Formats: sequence, C-alpha cells, structure tokens
Amino acid sequence: MDMVKTLTDKLSIEQVKIEILNTAYGYHQTFLQRLDPRTLFLWYLVFGVVPFFIHQTSVLIGLALFLIVLTAMAKVSPLIIFILTLGLLTQGGSYLIVGLFFGGEVTAMLPLLKLTLKLSVISMASIVVFCSMSPEKLSDGLLKIGVPGQVSFSIGYAYRMLPTLVEEYHHIFLSYRLRGKAPVKKGLFYSRQLFYYIKLLIKSFYPLMLSVAKRSRTMVEALESKGSLYGFNHPKVKQLKLQHLKIKRRDVLFFGLSISYFIILIGIS
Amino acid sequence: MTHQITMTDVTFTYPGQSRPQLKHVTLSIKQGAFVAIMGGNGSGKSTLCKCLNGLIPHYYVGDYTGKTTINSHDTTEVSVSALSKHVGYVYQDFENQLVSPRVLDDACFAPLHFGLSDFKARGERALELMAIDHLKDRYIWQLSGGQKHLLALSGILSLNPDIIIVDEPVSQLDPFHAEVIYKQLKALHQQGKTVIVIEHHASFVARYAEEVILMSEGELLTHTSVREALENDAVLSQAGVYPPEVTMMARKMKRHDHPLPLTIDEAERYFRPLLKQTEENQVESMPTVNKNAAVQLKGVSFHYQSLEKTTHQVFDQLDLSLYQGERVALIGNNGAGKSSLMKLLTGQFKPKTGQIKIFNEDINKQSPEQLAEYVTYIHQNPEHMFIDDSVEKDIGYFLKMRHTPNLDQRVATLLERFDLTSLKSRDARLLSGGQMRRTSLAIGEGTSPRLLLLDEPTATLDMVAKQHVKRLMQNQTGEEKTIVMATHDVSLVFDWATRVIVLNNGQIIFDGVPEQLVDDYHVLNKAGIILPEVVELSRRLELPLMKNQQMFIDCLQDEVI
Repeated sequence: MDMVKTLTDKLSIEQVKIEILNTAYGYHQTFLQRLDPRTLFLWYLVFGVVPFFIHQTSVLIGLALFLIVLTAMAKVSPLIIFILTLGLLTQGGSYLIVGLFFGGEVTAMLPLLKLTLKLSVISMASIVVFCSMSPEKLSDGLLKIGVPGQVSFSIGYAYRMLPTLVEEYHHIFLSYRLRGKAPVKKGLFYSRQLFYYIKLLIKSFYPLMLSVAKRSRTMVEALESKGSLYGFNHPKVKQLKLQHLKIKRRDVLFFGLSISYFIILIGIS
Repeated sequence: MTHQITMTDVTFTYPGQSRPQLKHVTLSIKQGAFVAIMGGNGSGKSTLCKCLNGLIPHYYVGDYTGKTTINSHDTTEVSVSALSKHVGYVYQDFENQLVSPRVLDDACFAPLHFGLSDFKARGERALELMAIDHLKDRYIWQLSGGQKHLLALSGILSLNPDIIIVDEPVSQLDPFHAEVIYKQLKALHQQGKTVIVIEHHASFVARYAEEVILMSEGELLTHTSVREALENDAVLSQAGVYPPEVTMMARKMKRHDHPLPLTIDEAERYFRPLLKQTEENQVESMPTVNKNAAVQLKGVSFHYQSLEKTTHQVFDQLDLSLYQGERVALIGNNGAGKSSLMKLLTGQFKPKTGQIKIFNEDINKQSPEQLAEYVTYIHQNPEHMFIDDSVEKDIGYFLKMRHTPNLDQRVATLLERFDLTSLKSRDARLLSGGQMRRTSLAIGEGTSPRLLLLDEPTATLDMVAKQHVKRLMQNQTGEEKTIVMATHDVSLVFDWATRVIVLNNGQIIFDGVPEQLVDDYHVLNKAGIILPEVVELSRRLELPLMKNQQMFIDCLQDEVI
C-alpha cells in the first residue's frame, strides 16, 4: 500500500495536467522553439521517416546520440522521458525473456535490439519536434502548408480546452470516490482495489462527455459571431494570420547542419 | 434621438418546442441607453438578446415572426458575422466564449477572422479599455473569473460594436469583481455605447442602469425608467424580481409623501428623519454551544504547484478548531484559501505538515472514501457532482452503493424536501441553476453527514432561487450536525451563521460572531467584504446591527412610536 500511496502522491492528476501543458507550451524558450514550423516539418520528414530504411547499426547509434543531445536541448518534460524509457525497457526486457524462453541465445536478440534502437530514434525525433512547437505554431504551420482552417483551429482549441477537461474529469472522478464505496478487502496484490480504481476511471468519462456537449454550444455560437466561418474561407485572413512566419538564417543553419551530419554518418559507415 | 434597436411583434419558438419563448415583443431602444432586462428564469431574457445579435433567426432555425432592426438593418437580411460589428454579446457562461489559449490572441480573434489588417492594435486597444493589457501574454487558464469576464468583453470590443449585451455579469462573479465589471460598463456607456444587461440584482440595476425592461413568460411587461420599474411592486412580483432591499424596507414604512429610495444613499436620507435617538450598539456574545471539537487543525501547512512550476503557499502553520453543532461561515476574497481548507477536510488535499483531526480521528490515515462516510463536501459548481443520468439516481447513488434498506423511500423523502419530485427523472445537467443547486444539496443531505461542507451554495442563483436555498439552509438544524459554508453572500452570513471566520491570504484575520465583524473596518476592507444593504444602512444610521429586514422595520417602528 505504501508504494501505491507514494506513487499516487507523485502522479496526481494535478501533476499530470501541469506536465501536459508544459509539454505543449514550454514556458521556457529553447532554441528549437524559435524555429519556423515549416523547418521542423521538413526536418521531421527526414529524421522521423528515413531511419526506418537504415540498417547500419553505427548510423543508428550516431543518430541516437544526436537526438539525445536535441532532446536535452528541447527541455522535454521528465514525465515524457520516463514514459519513453519505460516503454523501451519493457520492450527490451520482454524480448530477452521471450528469446531465452524459446531457447534462443543472446545473439538472437541483436536484430531486435536494433529495431528498438530504430524506434527510439524515431520516438525521440517526434518528441523533439512536438515539444518545440506550441499548438499555435503547429496550427499556423499546418495552415501554411495548405491544411484547411478548421483543422488547424481545432488543434489550438483542443489545447485551450485540455486543462478544463482534465480538471472536470478530476472532479467527476472524485465525486465517484466520495459517494461510492471502496472495496473493504484489498484483494490479492491489491487487485480488488486496482479493479475498483480502473472501473471508476472508465466510468468517469461518461459524465464528462455530457458536460462537454453542453459547453460546446456557447463556443459554437461565439465562434459564429466572432467571424470564424468568414475567416476560414478567406485567403486574406490566412495571409494576415501567417505574416509572422518567416524562414530565418537559424532555420537554414539548423536544417543544413542536421542533414550534413546525417550524410556524413552514412558516408563513414 | 434615433431608435437604434427596434423589435416589432417578434414571436419565436425554439425548434422542437411547442410553446413560444418570446411572445409578440415590441420595443425600441435609443442609441446610448443603459438598459437592464429583468425577469425570472425562463422568462425569455436571453432569447430576446439572441434576437438582437442575429443568432435568432440565423443560427436557431425556429419559428420566427416579426421584425428586428439594428441600426436600420433587418436582422433577417444581414448575417450573424455582419451583425457582430454592431452588437457584441457576452454570455453568462463567458468562459466557453474564450476560444484561444492566449489572452491577446483571444482579444484579436474576431478582427483577425474578419480580415482586418489592424487586428493586433484592435485587440490591444480592447484589452487596454478593460484595463487588463498587463495580462496579454498570459494563458487563459491562468486568469481569475473576473479577469476572464473582462477578456470576454475585450473580445467583443475589438470589433468596436455600438451595442454591448452582457448576460448576467454578477452571477458567476463575486460582489467585488461584479462591481469592477459594472464600472467598466458604465465607462463604455459614457463613451456613447448602448449597454444592455440581463440582471437579477436590483441593487446593481438601481445604481447603474437608466431603463428597465421587465419580462415574464416570454412577454414584455413594461419598458420604463429604473425608478418607475423598481417602485412598481405589482409588475415586479409578476416578473419574479425583487426590488433592492432598501426599497422593500421603505415600502413597509408606508410613508407616501416621499419617493421610495432605490440606493443606499437615498435610503440614508429617507430613514434618517424617522429616527429619534441612537442607541448603543450592543454586541451579542458568542452563543454557547457544547464545546465538543468537530474539527481540529494543528500547525497545518499546505501548498500546491502552479503551472509555472512555482509553489504557491496557501496555509502556513494554521491552527483552528470547530465545534459540534456550529454553523460556520468562511468568507474572504478569491484565492484566500476557503476552498483549499474545505478540500483539506475532505481528504482531497493532504497537508504537507501538521495534523487534522475530525471527530478525534486523524484524517491522514483515512482514504477519501472512508472520510466520506461522515464528511460531505458540496461543490461550488453543482455539475461536478452529477455522475448519473437522472436526479433520482444521483441522489440515491451513495445509498445504493451501501445497500441501504428503504432506498426508494429515503430518496422520495429527499426529493420532496428539496422540491425536486417533479424533476426526478430529468438529467440534472440540463436543469436551471436553482434546480441544479437544490439537487446538489439533496445529494449532500442523502449521505447524512455529521460534518457538512458547502462551497458557495448561493452563487450563480437568481433572487428567487437564492431565497429558496436560504430557506433550506435555515431548516438545516439539528444539534449534532456541524456545517461549514464558504460564501460571498454576506446577508446569508448574518442570517444564518453562529460563527464567522475571515480568511485572507491563508491567514485567519477574523474569528467571532457576525455582530463583531460589522465594526471591524480593517477586516472588511482587507477581505473586500461588501455588507448587505440592511447592515450597511443600520451602520450608517448608527443603529444597533440589523441582521435582516424584519429586524430593521421592527426597530424603526418602535422608534417612530
């Protein structure tokens, strides 16, 4: 129980909310956040896709090192890093167990480890890109490359609603706890208690949906009178909205240097 | 003067409803007027205003007849977007009206989406106008309720409309912030804008508005000056509106030679000649209660992390004891720690240091579920408590989980007591504010707590619903039960509480009987407490403290004789 207790103390819903918002908005200005969203899209196209087709371990290791540096530069939230490493470790661990169980040798694991390496490179690239773009930047970037206004607006709005929704969910969950009854016996390995919590976590979504439906009415009316419908369909609005986007020298430098590093890596091996 | 707004014989029925929400409404409003629309819940006030900004008939495609013109444009011929340059509308649930994450972006949203190239300057100017330009780089979830309301106003002002409609500004805000909003509206009015407010609180109407439109069941009853409207008792009660407290008291004095007072200043002049001499103010001593501790806090410190990852200290070494059978009112401005204190008592928050005992049990060792067996917390927002799909099931949830015998009968009794029987199969989220609040009180009562915690039970209610809830609170007797209520409604404090605790920045700056609070100017100022009109008046007239209107009338009549 003590372990469960310390874990729940650390991982309160409040804490999760703070982490999500910090990941989305990044209250500290990093170098990567100052880049143009288009640079980041293009960069992601290279570093998020190309590694799939690379088989040389040395290149992958080189990429992984590069991305570790970038992840550090992007000041990614500890929660995200924790989830990523947890995922990679359990994956690696399960390979080992399965491999040994079927009588394989440790060498059989090497190709699988390579896959893990590949996946971690791609995951890190994704994290770096998305932590370096605030939702506003992401939606402006998408608008610039021709995605319809409604889609890019939805992204910004979803983030605007996120803290409200998490809070509302938290309230509903608490109401279930305060009016419900926890199992008297904890069960084997707290299984009863765990089951009780999981059940409440799922149940809490239903009231949430109903209250969100209620909220959205005012929002839709407000959008209507704030001219969003007009704005989504007029090129002049798009131009006004995006006039702040400019490719600067640091964009060229960042992209150029990353690509050169990649090419040199391939060249060496 | 030209008529800026005209409605001619407008009738509107929402799609899917059989009865019209507006019935043959005809009115005209001049440019630069300050109009208050008053009426009970469901009287068609909001529907009327939605006709003015074109949402009706463009967005709500119901059954619409008649004609509405705004600056000589027929609303059926102009789009909602085009009308929004003439009319700005701030919703009652204004929080949902904010669509961008950042303050400045939200203020710029409308001009930007109309393709105005000076959108940024417009947004900044609108923020300046509402005196919140220092917040422009904040995220909206960092703002307080009052600041959000000002931002919603800025969002519409950025288009520079000449008509501004605000739907119940006071309902979601504490009295202090409501005053701020009204001062801003007054400033806008002085700049020549037409301001229309939907308002239940006659005291604000008396001080700020010029004209009053009274509505009842979709019909326009009268459209007159403020004085005529608030003096006309018959029409007011038909519309389900209470006049200001001072007006009600003056009416009972039956002096026909004088116009009735509408504001506290007028009331002072009205009542002073009726007095003969002044009496010494007697402070009642603390009523004796059996001193069995219900709640004990010893050296409690509590802080939480804000979004910027800085810690925010709420309580530092707080000591407090509450006794069984006490009715405690917790007052103080927003952020003073009222809700935090209550959440500590329910186990939702854990103190960082110190000890909390409830009925001599250390609550640190108990889960919120265990505590809930004898402590109940009723949320400020009743919607947070609705977890089932009907009023009846929501009230019965706690009992059902405990397999209580006679479940149906107990739920039926609660439904009856809180006047909810006719609503029992409705979804609680879709009820009116007053009905939702009664449901949440019934849910709380259903858990038969020994310690009941109420967070702002009368906030967001119209006057009629507020009176109803007050009556229910008064009936909450019983020697055993301890009730703690956080509130901004000071009149409820004087009527109901046996003990008042004023919190300010996490510290207790006053703890005593309500009577002592009145004379403590220091505390009143520091905590931003606005006294009820009857209390303020008795103070100005140097009378002993009058807790409610009846006491005031009785006292005056004694003196006059």
